[in-house]
Amino acid sequence: MNKKKFILFPLLALFLSSCLFDTDDDGLSNWLSDQGMPSSYDVQTVTVPDLKPVSAKVFENLRPKSIYSSGIFGATSGMSHDVVFDFVIDTTVYTSFWTGLKKADSAKSFLQLRLVDSYYLFKPAPSGILPVEDDIELNVSWILSDKLTGQEINDLASINDSAWQYGLTSWKAKKSADTTASISIKAVTSSKTVSLADTLLELNLPSALVNDIRKKTCSRRLQLRLSAPEAPHVYRFYGPEVFSPRLVVQNSETGDFLRFNTVRAAVIPKNQEECKDCLVLHGGSLDSLEVEFPSKPIMKALSEFYGDEFPYNVGDSNDVRQAVVMAELTFYRDDTKGESEIDLPIMVRNGSYVDSAESVVFRAENYIPDRLRINEHGHPNMVFYEGDSLALQVTAGMRNFINKASDGRSFRMLMRLERSVLLPSDSSYSVLIRQDTTFKDEDKKEVKSIRTDTIPVFFPYTNYARYDFSTIKNKPATLKLWLASKRGENTDKKKIVKIDTAKSVKTEGKKVTTSTARGGK
Amino acid sequence: MKKFISALLCVSSFSFASMIGLDAIGQEQIAGGSAAMAGRGFAGNAKTGDTEGISTVNPARQAFDTKVSLNLNFLLDVSTADRSNSHFTKTDISMPSMNLTFPMGDFGTFGVSLWQHYSASMRETLEDEKEQWNAEIEYQSSIYELVPTYAIRLPFLRMVSLGASAHFVMGSFTRRLTLGADNSGIAKEDAWATSDVDLSDYVHGDWDIKHHPAYYSFAVQYRGRMASYFFSFTTPYTLSNTLDYNFRFSELDTLAPTRKTREIRIPAMLATGVNYRINKRHNVMADVAWRAWNRDIDNVAGSWNMTQMTKTQNDFNISVGYQRDGSDVFYDSYWDRMTYRAGAWYKNWYVEDVSEIGGAVGAGFPLGRRGTTLDLSIQGGVRLTDDDHNWSESFIGIRLGLVGVGSWGKARGQ
Repeated sequence: MNKKKFILFPLLALFLSSCLFDTDDDGLSNWLSDQGMPSSYDVQTVTVPDLKPVSAKVFENLRPKSIYSSGIFGATSGMSHDVVFDFVIDTTVYTSFWTGLKKADSAKSFLQLRLVDSYYLFKPAPSGILPVEDDIELNVSWILSDKLTGQEINDLASINDSAWQYGLTSWKAKKSADTTASISIKAVTSSKTVSLADTLLELNLPSALVNDIRKKTCSRRLQLRLSAPEAPHVYRFYGPEVFSPRLVVQNSETGDFLRFNTVRAAVIPKNQEECKDCLVLHGGSLDSLEVEFPSKPIMKALSEFYGDEFPYNVGDSNDVRQAVVMAELTFYRDDTKGESEIDLPIMVRNGSYVDSAESVVFRAENYIPDRLRINEHGHPNMVFYEGDSLALQVTAGMRNFINKASDGRSFRMLMRLERSVLLPSDSSYSVLIRQDTTFKDEDKKEVKSIRTDTIPVFFPYTNYARYDFSTIKNKPATLKLWLASKRGENTDKKKIVKIDTAKSVKTEGKKVTTSTARGGK
Repeated sequence: MKKFISALLCVSSFSFASMIGLDAIGQEQIAGGSAAMAGRGFAGNAKTGDTEGISTVNPARQAFDTKVSLNLNFLLDVSTADRSNSHFTKTDISMPSMNLTFPMGDFGTFGVSLWQHYSASMRETLEDEKEQWNAEIEYQSSIYELVPTYAIRLPFLRMVSLGASAHFVMGSFTRRLTLGADNSGIAKEDAWATSDVDLSDYVHGDWDIKHHPAYYSFAVQYRGRMASYFFSFTTPYTLSNTLDYNFRFSELDTLAPTRKTREIRIPAMLATGVNYRINKRHNVMADVAWRAWNRDIDNVAGSWNMTQMTKTQNDFNISVGYQRDGSDVFYDSYWDRMTYRAGAWYKNWYVEDVSEIGGAVGAGFPLGRRGTTLDLSIQGGVRLTDDDHNWSESFIGIRLGLVGVGSWGKARGQ
């Protein structure tokens, strides 16, 4: 026998014998059980009704926002949106035009904005977008600089957008003038296509502006602001990245004109709400509503349920006796005080404050769709939809809150109006384009799309809306927790008896309903 | 070389196979888990030779080594735990120890060992939709010791040597029990929330010695013409295991853990052994090592109905063995140059009512002229328990040991 065989035989024997060392089907399960470990975790639910917030406040976001691919101006849903353009008027070229303009008896200027036709002609959108026939009052204000050198002109392009926007928060116009404008946006159908009658929106600017421009023949910077706070709509136009808004200066006598593309543009939102105490969130802006709930009723409900002390105050007081697998807060909802630019449900997204690396950070909550409920009643986290409740998942926040509740903290969450939903009963909760699906047409009749149609689950454009959450302060919310516990059998047995004998427990006038889930093996 | 080191690290990340004592400190690897020692039933700590190398029990032995030796040990182990018609099997690969001895003539012998002293290892998955079982259990606990040793023969009494070693303890503990949801007890309309959510009961921590950098072993060895003896004493020490208990939904989605430290008082160990040379190359040997545990061990526990305490008992190991040394004459037949070993042991575990009976046979295969050897041993036995918690086990295993020998510091032909 050679050496190799001498080594290989025992190895072979070992592997063969390892085949004899078999595992039966429930061997590991029985072993885990003997070690006091389960084979799956039992899910338990606890419901805490009548939760009243201790505070609720709205944080507005009124900072100017850059316009890149598209922008708006006008007013809707309690907000007005001014638009500011930054132009460079270079008179060192086409000098004969400028000389003629200066000498002309009259001149005019106007803005050319390309309307976002994909929005206005969006097929699955409900009625209400078109036609738009508005006569609006327009306030035009501007800052026209003194003569700039060639270097200063070049430097304008390198101004940081955010620095420019910061400067807009303290806008001080040198001059302003009021004017009016007629806006007509309508669709025309020719053969098989639908298009806008006129995709170019021209807004005449006051004569004072063009007179100011032609006063001096030198290179200057013009910052132009349009404001239409009384407009019945917001008007959507393409931004510099797609089709640059243009300032047109025209010699009325000769008809000659020059066009100037905007260097940059921004929208300045303004809150026009009259009720200052109302909890109004605006869609399309990053307003957020912070709601704070007290710790005590939640701790009390958990204490009643488990028969243990809550909050946990042993050792470092980090409570890992159980974990929140799912948490859902259900608020009362009254859509009548809301207003939506487009008649579509709007999803409410929310997040919570959680501990992270010795600090507290805001964490957006993952939304887990309840497919059966969605197919039957639509997403539960929508406003402007059937029903009178708004259910928001607060799993990560509640998980963190119970884990660290010993420091006396309250539970804080934030909510915000998010995207509008075209298919509210679509449980895929996906941004994917769908085919062969059903949607409501302009007459709100259900129509099945043809094979070549594609329908996004979410409305791909911003829906400028307002929603008044003031009822949150008065109408209590209900918290439902899905819990997994590390507690052993004895504790649970005690609890089961308690719950079996009293399915609901009255505590200081508050009803705490509980259900339990023991493994049925 | 890089591949070799990677393979070593990979193998050493696994551990021994027993499922007893997982929540305490795990299974002890006797005598450094050396393949040569295992082949003679873990007896022979008193046996001296040119390349016997480090004995974790008897640091004085290496004073009689004359050649530099590097020893790597591997273990492939298959264990089956069973109780009343239920059984399950698991296989593990581990690297119990790496040893280096460096004889310096009259200046004694220096050695260093990396020894996985106690270890627990398990990774099993359980899935059965019908029974609503969905679990994955993982234990990874290693108490490593970095053991520098020094031994010297007495200048006035050359057959006697003294040795000492310091055991620097390090290592980590991880227990992860990942479970799927059992929604059988909640309303059907509530099941959507948890049906796809797995969560892990996660415990992680480090091993250390409380208040001291190391614990120590002292030994005295006598080598006679026929018989050799040793006696050793290992100091008691307190293992400190700092553990973070947590619930995990993913690597990033966890709770703030709660921290606890368990302290495990390991008692002093007394060990002695004898090796008797019957004929020129035939040896019989017997060893005894004994620890008097007087405190129970706090388990990791912390979840569900896991037992809080492991009750202890006096822990001793009695081993007997035989070895026929191989001829060191290169021109003898290969069979004659091989080393043959056999042995048996009885070990009372530190866990109450757990004992182990094992036997092994082994051989040493010389590789080349310089004395490099491949040691192979095949072991088998049973671990018997008598409580509700631990299951009895049968085990078989193969140990491989690679001994590289050099003659550093000596002129050619010396």
